[in-house]
Amino acid sequence: MSDNFADHFKGKDALGHVIDARVKGRLAASESHGLEIPGHVGELLYSIKETTAILLLLWISMQTMKIPTSQILHIYIFLFFGWIVWSAGRSAFLGWLRLQRLNRLITEEKWEIEHHRDQEKQELEALYKAKGFSGKLLQDVVEVLMADDNRLLQVMLEEEMGLTLSAFEHPLKHALFSLVGVVVTFLAICGSIILLPTYGIYIAGALMVTVTIIMSSRKEKTELMSSLVWLIGIFGISIASVYFISQILNIFIFKL
Amino acid sequence: MKNNFEPYTFDEFFASGLQESTSPFLTEESKTWSKNLGLKSAMASVIFLAIAFIFSFSIQPLSFLFLTFVYFLAGIPALIKTFKDFRSFEINIDVLMTLAAFMAVLIGNALEGALLLVLFELSGAMEESVTFKARGALHKLNELAPTMAWVVDNDGSAYQRSVKEIPVGAKLLIKANEIVPLDGFVVEGISSVNLVHLTGESAPVTKKPQDEVPAGAKNLESAITIQVTRISADSTLNKIIQLITHAQEAKPKLQRWLDKFGKAYASTVIVLTIIFTVVLPWILSIGFWGDEGSLYRALAFMIAASPCALIIATPTAYLSSISSCAKNGILLKGGVTLDALASCKTIAFDKTGTLTTGELSISDTSHLFGDIQDTNFALSVAASLERHVIHPISAAITGYAQQKQLKQIEILDFESKAGFGLTGNIILNNQKLPVAIGLSSFIRSMLPDDLKTLLDSKMKELNLENQVIATCLIDRSVYVIRMKDTIRSKTKELISLIGKERQLTPVMLTGDHKLSAQSVAKMIGINQVFADLRPEDKLNLVASLSEKEGLAMVGDGINDAPALARATIGISLGKIGSATAVDASDVVLLNDDLFLINWLIGKSHKTLKIVKQNLFLALSVIVLATTPALLGYIPLWLAVILHEGGTVIVGINSLRLLKK
Repeated sequence: MSDNFADHFKGKDALGHVIDARVKGRLAASESHGLEIPGHVGELLYSIKETTAILLLLWISMQTMKIPTSQILHIYIFLFFGWIVWSAGRSAFLGWLRLQRLNRLITEEKWEIEHHRDQEKQELEALYKAKGFSGKLLQDVVEVLMADDNRLLQVMLEEEMGLTLSAFEHPLKHALFSLVGVVVTFLAICGSIILLPTYGIYIAGALMVTVTIIMSSRKEKTELMSSLVWLIGIFGISIASVYFISQILNIFIFKL
Repeated sequence: MKNNFEPYTFDEFFASGLQESTSPFLTEESKTWSKNLGLKSAMASVIFLAIAFIFSFSIQPLSFLFLTFVYFLAGIPALIKTFKDFRSFEINIDVLMTLAAFMAVLIGNALEGALLLVLFELSGAMEESVTFKARGALHKLNELAPTMAWVVDNDGSAYQRSVKEIPVGAKLLIKANEIVPLDGFVVEGISSVNLVHLTGESAPVTKKPQDEVPAGAKNLESAITIQVTRISADSTLNKIIQLITHAQEAKPKLQRWLDKFGKAYASTVIVLTIIFTVVLPWILSIGFWGDEGSLYRALAFMIAASPCALIIATPTAYLSSISSCAKNGILLKGGVTLDALASCKTIAFDKTGTLTTGELSISDTSHLFGDIQDTNFALSVAASLERHVIHPISAAITGYAQQKQLKQIEILDFESKAGFGLTGNIILNNQKLPVAIGLSSFIRSMLPDDLKTLLDSKMKELNLENQVIATCLIDRSVYVIRMKDTIRSKTKELISLIGKERQLTPVMLTGDHKLSAQSVAKMIGINQVFADLRPEDKLNLVASLSEKEGLAMVGDGINDAPALARATIGISLGKIGSATAVDASDVVLLNDDLFLINWLIGKSHKTLKIVKQNLFLALSVIVLATTPALLGYIPLWLAVILHEGGTVIVGINSLRLLKK
């Protein structure tokens, strides 16, 4: 019996286990066009995928406009400095913005507890009623939680707002990993163009995407094969779109 | 819209196989986006393909752009499936199709490859839609099953508990308009229940103390308290849900063989394609690449030889039939049941509760001995005693007395001896006389010794063994009230139709007395009667008939369960049948309409006919298209049209079985 408990909680106490479960829930609910994995690893993978996509799409566009490879490399070097600042800066900015939002929520909830106690009590009753508590048991639970304002604030933040305390990383850490992602991708892509001017960028791009998908898939515990084929498919269709549309435009508009 | 505090029901999500359209994480509005996503994607692919085809004559890059969309929408899911199949070393039809479509790109025939992908996606979406319809009945039943119940404690307070944790014997409060969560019998309160979702029967049925109520019934009027007789896993509703689940999983013999054959066949076609690609340039003096090349011809051969239509020929037909049966209130344990039913030459009916309703009616009343000889007076006394209790015999006697407008007699000192009979006194001609009704042994015990012997001899004379009787005593006069079962309506027509239209021999199997069995058999037109059967005799007879010529056995009660399980096909009555009988049978008639048996047998024959038609059509396409494809008479696009056209026709032919 005790072995089963140990397996279930994975060496943590029940509360620690609940926090883990919540992080997992947040991980699964994260927006599909944002970070698949919350935290610095997610920032790194996202930045690699985004940078690879932009460099590949630019490459196709410039190739169809018959811009020489050496000039494309020059453009990439200029772009690198702008992109690295944007990527890391945006990551830090969004992180701080979120932290600010969360801190404001705590302040608001604290004010609610101090000034609208009856309404908070009703909210608490409704919350626990929805969890199956009723009658005297429900009243007892509510009274115990209402007795301590600190505990009440935590319960309201977690139960009512679905927030998890002690689960967010510092925005600067996010920014750093985003920066690393940009540097690695630029090095790989530019290096591949220099080594294999015609197909190098495609091989490097496919490798970068594959590695990020394998890492995300392991972290998210999703099915690798589907993720890999879908994402390569999305990359393929975006590259094909740029390629064919640029050809059409070249024929009918730019007359190249 | 659900409010945020209402507990979410996850059952539909799990029952649907985690389908996106039932995901608990999506808003109600967003769920509609997910419905028929496969079909929507296929339709979008069709439009993109049409645009690609139109622009292929004028603006090539635009045509290629739209082809890319087609390969993305239809090709990526196919590619994922193929990789997964490769990973598990499984070469099947999906692998064949995906390989052909992507190889077509390599030889510069991307348009034909896209056509193949789109048609393959369309036929897949159609198959999915048939499967979804067949699963509809299960969703509805799952929606019916409550997950929580109000348990009444010893102190009278009620609290909610998960139905999975409620033991046998617990008391449950069922409020008005609530669904009964578990099988049980009423212990308090009177109300009407509706079994429409469970059995198709819409008329409300009154339930009073001691009456059984099945899980899934809807309480219509006032609150009742029931005592649980079966736990959640054993409940009638759960057994029915399991039956439908098995129906979707149990594959007929032919389908199992085709599944196995499909894998070997697909591998052979791939090997042959490689061989033809390599060998044809030498044999026919043609090139390797181009529209006349060996790769092109081998690809056309591969598409024409693909067994898509062959693979869907059987499952779509069986699923359509199962779905149609479910709509008529017939549950089947899979397509295998239809095969077996079509092979039966004999159909055996249990008598009591199956051919007859199990409701008793008075056949005659005999005066055995004593001074008071008026049988109508005896019936008045009997009805006056019986009106105090609830029992099938009392219902028959009081009903008969009411029908004959017999007057009620006041019973003094009424007493009920549970399991034996009822006693009391009446005033007749200013005299207080003892009266009683019950088992003959009970009445015998109240008689003096000389009358005991007389009763024994009279009973022997009347040959009452195996008959339902009630013995009535008025002072020193004794009467026997004989009762008979009521024959179900339209039974005679059914027996006649089964013989004439389906060429099945009807027989009757019963544990009842031969005379009583023969009289019922004569009334409904059954010539072969096996009476006085003990359960083991019945089982042996069913086993021998099943082995000899295939037997469909129709029964209802727990005593029929072994015979139902042993017969080639066991058909049980779901409404009155026991959960054990339902479990042991292959077919359940939810609304107890025996007349549906004739329709069902017809359906089983029609299903086999359509399966044969489908197989013929699928094989014809393969045989007629493969060789011309190799010789270059059939271009790639025509091979695709022939192959996928055959698949669509086979699917549409199967859908004909959906008709009621």
